[in-house]
Amino acid sequence: MSIEDANPAWKRDFPYEAAAEDAVTRREFARYLVAGAGVMAAGNVGLAVWTQLRAVNTGEPRAIVALEDVAVGATHLFRYPTDDEPAVLVRLDERDVVAFSQKCTHLGCVVFYEADESRWHCPCHEGNFDARSGAVLSGPPTRPLGRIDLEIRDDGVIWALGTAG
Amino acid sequence: MKVPTASSRATSALALYVIILVAFQVFLITVAVEAFQTDDESLAWATATVSVVLAAASAALLRYLRP
Repeated sequence: MSIEDANPAWKRDFPYEAAAEDAVTRREFARYLVAGAGVMAAGNVGLAVWTQLRAVNTGEPRAIVALEDVAVGATHLFRYPTDDEPAVLVRLDERDVVAFSQKCTHLGCVVFYEADESRWHCPCHEGNFDARSGAVLSGPPTRPLGRIDLEIRDDGVIWALGTAG
Repeated sequence: MKVPTASSRATSALALYVIILVAFQVFLITVAVEAFQTDDESLAWATATVSVVLAAASAALLRYLRP
């Protein structure tokens, strides 16, 4: 090693030293990075295993509202499959009701029914979903709204049977 | 002015590759979290596979870094 290497120009121009400034070499720094990459890879595998093994709550069948209490073209807000998850149903015609999770599949904003356009609209980023199927019509979402299976029973009450898909 | 040697430049390039691969791991974590939230198992496993491959590639590059 030459004298120039041991005392480079920048050290002569800036003759200040921090404690243990030479403690970490480039290789050691890279080793920390690779260790971090290993931890993140392990985290990714852990998330994949968790995603695979966890039981998604699809909801128990329960009564939602009487059909006669929802006018044609009107919506009814409820919570399903748990009390933390907002859902909405719309009565499209006399015997046709559909229900979806109210959370936009883009970033989780609440969607609203727009009867004039026959669509679900997310005001956060202008996402739009088909009123009947929940399929994406436009905007940033790539997945359809989470559909909730419904049944109109003989007594005229709408039941949620579970989340679809 | 001191000109870096070819060996020094190669080492710096390898270190840069490692940094880029680790940065990509951070992105993969966000994808994995989204896959978890949306219960997308295929995406979660694909992300985990790519993440493990990248971590292995980072470790392999580390072998060629000079002390």
